[in-house]
Amino acid sequence: MEIMRLVVTGPVGAGKSTFIRSVSEIEVVDTDRRATDEALLIKKRTTVAFDFGRLQFGPDMALHLYGTPGQSRFDFMWDILIQKAHAYILLVAAHRPHEFREARRIMMFMKQRSPVPMIIGLTHTDCPGAWDAANIALALGYPNPSRRPPVVTVNANETASVAQAVIALVQHTWSGSLAATS
Amino acid sequence: MAISTEKLTHILQSFVTSTTDIQGAAVVTPDGLPLAASLPGGMDEERVSAMSAAMLSLGDRIGSELARGGIDRIYVEGDKGYGILTSCGEDAVFLVLADKAAKQGLLLLEIKRTLSDLKAVLM
Repeated sequence: MEIMRLVVTGPVGAGKSTFIRSVSEIEVVDTDRRATDEALLIKKRTTVAFDFGRLQFGPDMALHLYGTPGQSRFDFMWDILIQKAHAYILLVAAHRPHEFREARRIMMFMKQRSPVPMIIGLTHTDCPGAWDAANIALALGYPNPSRRPPVVTVNANETASVAQAVIALVQHTWSGSLAATS
Repeated sequence: MAISTEKLTHILQSFVTSTTDIQGAAVVTPDGLPLAASLPGGMDEERVSAMSAAMLSLGDRIGSELARGGIDRIYVEGDKGYGILTSCGEDAVFLVLADKAAKQGLLLLEIKRTLSDLKAVLM
């Protein structure tokens, strides 16, 4: 059985824990605590170590999903989790543009530590004030559409939608490894 | 009543200075924010707080999922010393950093005593 470790990262309230809960086949190992910081404006509880979920992907591959905390004071967890990751998805809430800078910071943190493939997942795209994919990509530092990681829209509450995002991430990882070997 | 940070800091400072082989202590929220601290120079309060919260939450999870029950404390034993995390009521986590030379029995007793002082302020 091959195991692929995927990391789900992004700013506070992007939907990382919800994402993992939506697709995991096992009961998710979560480490959420009552929020007392600015996260409280968005939600009641916040992840302080990591979330862990598992998903069987075909007969001989299992996906292990690790969700990071959102706040940068937990960046030691970002570091621990990304070191062993095969790929990661950066979740960004499309309707909170003031967080794009934080999303970009997280992405740079990951890129500095690991060269593994990544995709961008846009959540909350149905909320008022949501930016479109092209503009968010621009805000994240990808002005050129042909030279940016895949961008997918995902509803973290819907299993099918999250599954699509996971498939996109796995495919992107495979296509990258094929390109590297050919 | 508002929580008095000064009182908490005072308790921590007297704990650290009056107990031999204790190098630092901090009280943090369960989601990893500093409430009060008396730490060795060079240690960042915010980072220490986040690490304490992450560790205790994982320990809690191990306790429940691997059927060890409620967690009283978590020990990190290194070759230079100890890091001991104790839950301090629902709203706080108590971290103690001690030298390798510390006597464990004494350490636990002092932690217990300080915990009740801290809890009285946090109530």
